[in-house]
Amino acid sequence: MALHGDTAPAPDAATLTSASPLLEIRGVEKHFGITQALAGTDLTIRPGEVIGLVGPNGAGKSTLMKIITGVLEPTSGTIVIDGRQAQHVSHHDVTELGIACAYQDLSLCTNLAVYENFALLNMDHGMLSPRGWRARQKAAAEELLDRYFPGHGIDVAQPVSNLSLAGRQIVEICKALMGDDLRLLILDEPTSALSANRAAQLSEAVRKVAATGVAVIYISHKLDEIRDVSDRIVLLQGGRDAGEFDPEQITADDLVGLMGGGVRANLARRERPESTEGTVRVRAEQYTGRGLKDVNLEVRAGEIVGISGLVGSGQPALLRSIFDARPGRDGRLRVDGDVSYVSGDRASEGVFPLWSILDNIIISSLTSVTRWGLLDRKRSAALAGAWYDRLKFRAEGVDSPITALSGGNQQKALIARGLASGADIIVLNDPTAGVDIGTKQEIYTLLDEATAAGKAVVFHSTEDAEMEICDRVYVMRDGQITAELAGDEVSVPNIVRASFSEVQRATHEEASRSLFAKALHSRLALPISAMLVILALNAAVNPNILSFTGARLLLGTAVPLVFAALGQMFIVASGDIDMGNGYSIGLANVLVAFLLSGSVVVGVVSLVLLIVAYALMGALIHLRSLPAIVVTLGAQFIWLGIALMIAPVPGGASPAWLSSFYRMQILFLPMSAVLCIVAAAGAWFVLFRWKYGMVLRGVGNNRDAVERSGWSYLMGKMINYAMAGLMVVFAGLFFTAVTYAADVNTSLAFCMISIATVIVGGCEMSGGVVVPVGVVAAAIAMSLITSLLVFINVDSNLQMAVTGLIIISVLAARLVSRRKAGALA
Amino acid sequence: MSDLMVKVRRYPAVWPILGSVLIFLVIGAMTGSMDGNVLFTSARLATFAALLALGQMVVVTSGDGAIDLSQIYILTLCAYVSTTLMDFNPVLGFVGAVLIGGLCGLVNAFVNVYLKVPAMVTTLATGYIFFTIVLVSASHMKVLPHSGFVRFVTGSVGPVSVQTIIVGVVGIALAVLLYRTRYGRQLHAVGQNRTAATLAGVPTPTVVTRAFVIGGVLSGLAGVLAAAVMGGAFQDMGLAYFLPSVAAAFVGGTAASGGRSSVVGVIFGALMVTLMSSSLSTAEGMYQLPSGARQLVMGAFLVGVLVLSVAGVQTRRRKTRKVLA
Repeated sequence: MALHGDTAPAPDAATLTSASPLLEIRGVEKHFGITQALAGTDLTIRPGEVIGLVGPNGAGKSTLMKIITGVLEPTSGTIVIDGRQAQHVSHHDVTELGIACAYQDLSLCTNLAVYENFALLNMDHGMLSPRGWRARQKAAAEELLDRYFPGHGIDVAQPVSNLSLAGRQIVEICKALMGDDLRLLILDEPTSALSANRAAQLSEAVRKVAATGVAVIYISHKLDEIRDVSDRIVLLQGGRDAGEFDPEQITADDLVGLMGGGVRANLARRERPESTEGTVRVRAEQYTGRGLKDVNLEVRAGEIVGISGLVGSGQPALLRSIFDARPGRDGRLRVDGDVSYVSGDRASEGVFPLWSILDNIIISSLTSVTRWGLLDRKRSAALAGAWYDRLKFRAEGVDSPITALSGGNQQKALIARGLASGADIIVLNDPTAGVDIGTKQEIYTLLDEATAAGKAVVFHSTEDAEMEICDRVYVMRDGQITAELAGDEVSVPNIVRASFSEVQRATHEEASRSLFAKALHSRLALPISAMLVILALNAAVNPNILSFTGARLLLGTAVPLVFAALGQMFIVASGDIDMGNGYSIGLANVLVAFLLSGSVVVGVVSLVLLIVAYALMGALIHLRSLPAIVVTLGAQFIWLGIALMIAPVPGGASPAWLSSFYRMQILFLPMSAVLCIVAAAGAWFVLFRWKYGMVLRGVGNNRDAVERSGWSYLMGKMINYAMAGLMVVFAGLFFTAVTYAADVNTSLAFCMISIATVIVGGCEMSGGVVVPVGVVAAAIAMSLITSLLVFINVDSNLQMAVTGLIIISVLAARLVSRRKAGALA
Repeated sequence: MSDLMVKVRRYPAVWPILGSVLIFLVIGAMTGSMDGNVLFTSARLATFAALLALGQMVVVTSGDGAIDLSQIYILTLCAYVSTTLMDFNPVLGFVGAVLIGGLCGLVNAFVNVYLKVPAMVTTLATGYIFFTIVLVSASHMKVLPHSGFVRFVTGSVGPVSVQTIIVGVVGIALAVLLYRTRYGRQLHAVGQNRTAATLAGVPTPTVVTRAFVIGGVLSGLAGVLAAAVMGGAFQDMGLAYFLPSVAAAFVGGTAASGGRSSVVGVIFGALMVTLMSSSLSTAEGMYQLPSGARQLVMGAFLVGVLVLSVAGVQTRRRKTRKVLA
């Protein structure tokens, strides 16, 4: 085995050093508070070479990559970019250098088609583009995927959400590979979801791009893969580069040994009597679920059991399953006693940021501090105070806000919460993340004391060295337990070896998702079939509606709702909701009947101002991060006020040209039918044909992906709102044509019905997924329900309840179908 | 200065109290006399907005975008139920109507928590349904309130109206529930972070369900009182209180993102919004404002106040996140 130090020449050094380095990292350090993620790392990246980056959990790989991609600024050290010294990598440098990164958490807009995700990145950011760009982009996407992953089987016109995890990973990689001026490619665990065959294709792709002079950093836990693809392997350990190796001359086993060996094992395990006689607190027998497979384990009172393995092997899922198991319930996973859960992800799973330390500690022990049904201040203070004194918090007092504490001290409060609750089983999910060494020692002591008091402790850490405090350790890989280490076997080298043991790769990778795809396709099925069924029912009850006049009357009343719903849809596209469109349509109604009927210029200007007001509302909501529901609720009174100032009493008139236009017919179709078709086609064109439509849909799905591709999120949101404003204007216009006058209060019902219509039309309230044709069909259906109820002499009042029930049942049915799809996928 | 800011943040009730005083002074300046009765009258008029706002506060505090848009329909439904049942027996009418309010809240909670429909859409839809019940059954119901009950509700103790006293009693009971009991703590925990609350052993679904039920009960109570005060139940009786109550809830220091509430703040928020409305009426009478100006000013005022109060909370939250990160 040849070990090269940093100064030793690499095998083909002659060729490599001749090219000047693309990027040089020199002595870079990165601190997060008191934790040191990088402790003086050097790394030189030359054009055309593939660097395999390996290292145990927590070695600083992700931090280093974030520094290279400019996401983080180093605390100290220098970076040489193209021969120029700099403190950090700027956004400008990232573009200039051509740095692209395939992220592990995937930076795709899942609601957009595959080719649109590519197009977002590689098209210019103007509003318009030459005709036929979609065909070209599709072909380009197809070609890109074919080039690197022949036989990928991905339909580029499908939304990303229809792809399997492997498919998404392939798209993410290709997105990174795509740039014309790519010079540095970073692949972070690119093969975690790929089959062996696809992984081989990726290696091939990496070699191809490297041959064109692109530098590649390849991060992976799969050591054989790294050896196969890299020109040199860099080992990162404890935030330092711990050597460079020639992949030809080092085996995977050697690497594993090196990774384990470098860690100082200074965590003395205290002597404890054999705990085989403690009661069994947790027992799993062939437990399967949440991505776990056939897990067998046993945790007894009085012992600390570690759960280890590479990040992403299913450890958190196992911990959560233990927490969710309830005593007394039978199953593959049984617990005996109460479970408390301490998370190391303090911000999102632990701390209550608005509260004091005291409140944060006692939340799990409220019963014990309650007397006569009320919380007892003295008992609360005594309970929290005891822990506060015992844990030696660095804070002003137990009443100071928890956010004033450092990460480590917050963690102590969370552990105190878990212990104070008196649970028999304590589950800890990486509790020492971002905690300094002194506090870590305190935490170990606490766990020791807890076991001495007869508690069972399940301890997961991403730092392998910490496993040495455990009595036994289960090592996981791909959702399975691959090894159990006990007593003296618990050592970092053993854990690392077990972590890297190969298990059978997932084989279901490219399983067909046809059911899922069908469910998605059926977004149109519901609204269109609803429209047809209700139309048929109407015709059965009253055959007259099939005549020209009948159809005109029937559809005539539907047109305003069509536009109202489309307006709501544009707001829903960005993940918001318009609670004020009842009055804004009323205002448009007033503007048309009072101003437009008098002077076309004044009327048009006023209507344009309404659209501008909508765009500004969108900007306000984004810039001040306000909940849209609150702003639109309030705005409706502004619309109402303006409308009342213009038209204190109902009145006005529909402009003559509008009424005659509305009565026109084109070919054999009444104008109302033409308008419905035009509205559906127009909205569809804007969202699915126009280039900017990608952004309009993207903003509601993945803000980061849109911004990383260089588009303005604010602009996207404003245009969505402006489109909504335009639709409101059309709704008001045709509402005037239907009612021949204006009354701001008559359009109030549009708000609720438009929301119902958008839901029935197949859109997702969470944003991004919009179906213009479905919405138009649903609007016609909703409008026809009223006529139907009238024809069959049902109390017209019932229509509201029908609408309400439709909303709830559609959403509930969608939940059920999604669950089924999820179970299949 | 920063010390003062910390205190103000801790007691968000300061803002609506200051606002109420300010608007009271403006009314005094317009009419040329400081009439204390304006305060008592406004406090009486604020009853329904205050009760709805308190209910809204409890629901919103459960976090995760929870909001109850069906409140005004629950109010209307319960008003009809109360007038109908009071025909038999006033106590039965009172209790029955309030219970129906709670039942409506339970329906909301069921759809939101167990069918996982977003709270906003849920309550929009259930609001439809509650209102339909009113529309369909209104013709079979009695609409006139029980005269004894009307005498009780519209009475007063000194200058203080019985309605104001009821709001006070409800406020105290709610304050005890929210700030001195286990449930209150759990509700605020769930509102700040549902995942963290679940992991800390809080029965999140139950806590959220109860929040909706409390919201429903308070809307029901508002309906019972409204029927008595307004001389009977009618279909659109709730409409006027919708926006003022939402505004009062947020102005009073309820965090839109959940986890923070202030009973005192919300009650004064309702008073402030009502005073604003009175001041506009006064101005309308004195300066011949064009029709619609009142709605416009009121709308702009409410949006402005919402923008200020909600944004204040959000920036603070963002900062908090940074500290945690």
